[in-house]
Amino acid sequence: MEDINVSKDITNGRTLFFNALKKGNLVTKLSFIVMGLGCILRGQIVKGLIFLAIQVGFIAYISNTGWYYLSNLSTLGKSAQYKVWNEELQIYDYIQGDNSMLILLFGVITVFICLAMIVVYAKSVIEGYKCELLRNAGKKPTTFIEDVKNLFDKNFHKTLLTLPVIGVVVTVIMPLLFMILMAFTNFDKTHQPPGKLFTWVGLENFRNLFSSDAKISGTFGKILIWTFIWAVFATFTNYIFGMILAIIINKKGIKFKGFWRTMFVLTIAVPQFVTLMLMQRMFQDVGPVNIILQRLGLISEPIQFLTNGTNARIFVILVNMWVGIPYTMLITSGILMNIPEDLYESAKIDGAGPVTAFMKITLPYMLFVTTPYLITQFVGNINNFNVIYLLTGGGPATLDYYQAGQTDLLVTWLYKLTVNEQNYSLGSTIGIIVFLISAVFSLIAYNRSASVQKEDTFQ
Amino acid sequence: MMDKYKFVSNKKTTGYGMRTKIANAIIYVILTVLSIIWLFPLVWLILQSFREEPGAYTPYILPKGYTLNNYIKLFTETKLFNYPRWFMNTFVVAIFSCIVSTLLVLGTSYTFSRLRFKARKPMMNVALILGMFPGFMSMIAVYHILKSFGLQQSLVSLVIVYSGGSALGYYISKGFFDTIPKALDEAAIIDGATKSQVFWKITLPLSKPIITYTVLTSFIGPWVDFIFVSVIMKDNYQNYTIALGLYQMITRENIYNYFTQFCAGAVIIAIPITILFIMMQKYYVEGVTGGSVKG
Amino acid sequence: MLKKSKKAVALVLTAAMASALVAGCGKKDNKDNNNSGNGDKQKTKVTLKVWGAQEEQEILAEMIKSFKEANPDKEYDISLGVVSEADAKTKVLEDPSAAADVFAFANDQIWDLYNADALYEITRNKDKVIAANTEGSIEAATIDGKLYAYPMTADNGYFLYYDKSVISDEDAKTLDGILAAADKAGKQVVMDVSNGWYIASFFLGAGCTLSVKDGKQVCDFNNDKGLKAAEAIKAFTAHKAFKTGDDPYITGGMGDTIAAAVSGTWNAEAIQQKLGDNFAATKLPTFTAGGEQIQMGSFAGYKLVGVNSQTKSPVDAMDFAEWITNEQNQLLRFQKRKIGPSNIKVAESDEVKKNVVLAALAEQSKFAVSQKDVLGSYWAPAEAFGLAMESKDYSKSLQELLDEMVAQIQQ
Repeated sequence: MEDINVSKDITNGRTLFFNALKKGNLVTKLSFIVMGLGCILRGQIVKGLIFLAIQVGFIAYISNTGWYYLSNLSTLGKSAQYKVWNEELQIYDYIQGDNSMLILLFGVITVFICLAMIVVYAKSVIEGYKCELLRNAGKKPTTFIEDVKNLFDKNFHKTLLTLPVIGVVVTVIMPLLFMILMAFTNFDKTHQPPGKLFTWVGLENFRNLFSSDAKISGTFGKILIWTFIWAVFATFTNYIFGMILAIIINKKGIKFKGFWRTMFVLTIAVPQFVTLMLMQRMFQDVGPVNIILQRLGLISEPIQFLTNGTNARIFVILVNMWVGIPYTMLITSGILMNIPEDLYESAKIDGAGPVTAFMKITLPYMLFVTTPYLITQFVGNINNFNVIYLLTGGGPATLDYYQAGQTDLLVTWLYKLTVNEQNYSLGSTIGIIVFLISAVFSLIAYNRSASVQKEDTFQ
Repeated sequence: MMDKYKFVSNKKTTGYGMRTKIANAIIYVILTVLSIIWLFPLVWLILQSFREEPGAYTPYILPKGYTLNNYIKLFTETKLFNYPRWFMNTFVVAIFSCIVSTLLVLGTSYTFSRLRFKARKPMMNVALILGMFPGFMSMIAVYHILKSFGLQQSLVSLVIVYSGGSALGYYISKGFFDTIPKALDEAAIIDGATKSQVFWKITLPLSKPIITYTVLTSFIGPWVDFIFVSVIMKDNYQNYTIALGLYQMITRENIYNYFTQFCAGAVIIAIPITILFIMMQKYYVEGVTGGSVKG
Repeated sequence: MLKKSKKAVALVLTAAMASALVAGCGKKDNKDNNNSGNGDKQKTKVTLKVWGAQEEQEILAEMIKSFKEANPDKEYDISLGVVSEADAKTKVLEDPSAAADVFAFANDQIWDLYNADALYEITRNKDKVIAANTEGSIEAATIDGKLYAYPMTADNGYFLYYDKSVISDEDAKTLDGILAAADKAGKQVVMDVSNGWYIASFFLGAGCTLSVKDGKQVCDFNNDKGLKAAEAIKAFTAHKAFKTGDDPYITGGMGDTIAAAVSGTWNAEAIQQKLGDNFAATKLPTFTAGGEQIQMGSFAGYKLVGVNSQTKSPVDAMDFAEWITNEQNQLLRFQKRKIGPSNIKVAESDEVKKNVVLAALAEQSKFAVSQKDVLGSYWAPAEAFGLAMESKDYSKSLQELLDEMVAQIQQ
């Protein structure tokens, strides 16, 4: 509450920082060297000590390990592992060298830590300066207890977000940066640590991907098209049919709702790699489905579900529906429950039939709530590794494509490339391109969608 | 606008008559047919798990001999495949990552839905696109990061891996929170509640369907993943989770003898998940009469 | 406003911080990690981690015990981990410093492990090891004239299984004979042609080669020898009695609907169960190409035991690796698991010779080519070619298909 009464200078971080430099008194200036000093000496002791502890920790880290990674980041290692003949034991001694992969990874982490440190550093100076300004204005800076209390009210968002953000940074962002940077190196089969180093090659991988070979870029284009088609079909069939299923189960007058839902949820309960493997075995040319159909006399030759390109494509979409509809049914059920019953009642009074009610009430409501979900599902399907890989392995294989089959998505193709060839850098390159396409699309769609624009007005 | 029709909602379903009955009957038929289609592979799986003769391929559908041996052997022949231990591992990991994930996701989606602060929009966008990278290549990085904390090859690291990025899946829950009217929050704040209290005491209790969904999906994760755990656990056989362990049964050398046990193992996995869902069913049967908009 | 003491405290703290910064930056850089092998002689306690396939765990435990008994002068702490031979390379390269000291791997992984410098060059008792094991197995473990692993098994190949009651031994000598006999009885001949591993048998038999130059695959499957082989494949897959299928299909239908199949030792037990007294196994047959009979070739695969280059006890690791691959233990492995040995003496023993399956493998291995020089880019195009043949997709000429396949393999 005190903040509101002080001058507007306080609200702008950058201004604050430079003002501290120019206008702060001696203690504030010393805060530039000893973090937290300003706070400690002005009454925010705990906060200041925290800053100080961070500074000490950071220095310890850099001097111990951080420096090694930072200094090697530009070259990714100077000498690989090598061996020296040990006459006495009649063996070679292997001398450890630089490990390019670890250097890249921990180098990135160290850079990140340094950047975070700069932010904390600036904050510590600003906090110290704020205290000085408050003192000068005759007010008391907030005590630690008060700060903590704020964390549960005014700054509740900070509290709620701390753990998730840490989790995401450590498990998602760091590895992601690592992976992105890999695309700019030549980390492949002939450059494997610890025996070999790899190094930066700039945009070479991207150039290779698009220019080097007609086959590769032709394959890229064709797979890209199929990936889109697949994503569109997979997402929308699951969504529409899942919703319809949820609606009919939810309908008044249908008994045993829980029973019906459980029936469908059972398929989620068994792991995908089991069910998909089963599907693959069931529908292979000599599998049970073909056998039954042949015995029933419906067909004379087995249907090539998996070995014919077009059939395989239709088949994966159908199986994906089998896999995904239970999920969409669950989600849409939950949201359906929330649609106020009164809306339907009033619609009926106005003489609307079930279909109109669906189109005018249910569908808009659902679309509003689930647009982000839809977009993410779409993008998720672009990257839907599991279903394709476990079901068909990306096959059937064809010589028209480079190292790819007719149901391969960009992701499964890149997985094969990396696993078969250990060409991590090429894999990363393709991964980045896939990501760029997905990201641009979703950002546009998401931000233009009604969900976001009318967010506050819906309620 | 709602008030005008409030008295109408008490009117019972007279005037429906035949049309509804036929419609309902058709729906029952559709549901039955769909259930059969959906459950057919599962039935096949269960049949295979009771099959007596070994092998992964049979030119016939119904097993020639039935036996419970496959299930029994899973729990008694633990030298090669330590199923019971894997089961416990997965169960423990699932419970913890379920708790952590749910807290993280709900906290994040509530923040984005209700609270307003400067970095909100950019963060939402960033979170949306972060999930779009094919994840398997970053696993090696995660492994090394965890190793630098001394956590490699442990169940704790699995929990971290499974729940660390869960906040990125905030959009579904956020969509749900968006439909809860702000009026409730405002009323509470006027009465003197802090934002924290609003979250725990008002919003969460109203969000049961979405909590159900979140709990269910994050519980399932560890049971079905074998890629992450393969990278994290490496050779720590005893700490495998069930998916990876089962996967060992269908290698070229093992598949002939162990396929039926594999099926049995897969069936058992489905049990805790189904039980969990049945338990949470009742939270679904809520809010038909107006969702969270109560008086 | 500040008291003088507070100012003093401030200045002192600042000075301390500044000096810490300076001292920190001046510290050393790289730790000196000398992984030398000496010191083993004085150490009485040695810790080793060993990776083996799951099916091997029991025998490995036995071998650990016998190793400890044979070397009582040191105290060994040997732990076992489960990593299949097929996964070994991936697991080792993911984190070499956390990998086992001794691990078993399939021989087609040797190039990748070598390039990453993950294998310790074997120099102890090298000549003894070379003399004791078959030439093929040693060749598979050697790169550039240097030995990098101990051969453990010579077992990973394929040959022909057939039902004696349907196909006579004479018939089994030629592919046409097999097909005719099976057709007469209304049964199938199964071979997984859409699999680079099996389909190579036609090409290799005809005299085509796969080699590695400058880290890239060189393949000549599209020359005229290859064309002959391709025509034979086409005729084979077009035959009424031909069926493609994987291992479960073979073991499921052998004896009932299948009269002959191409497979390896891992299915021996299952097929024996199915065929009983009608069980027979022999080398692959000859196929007709350009009017003459050509013997089908195959890939010869070996399992090798390598020592991690980052091991802390190289001498002991090498000794242990040698131990689990020596004559006595290869014999043990054969007795317990019926695995074909790479050790010459064990392979020549009566016991091994009497084993029908291993005898078939041994006979076929005369025509087998090492899998060492097959790189990752080979498999998908070969599979695609085989699939085209299996689905009888003759839209492109054989030569065209071959050219496309080779182009992709050599990329």
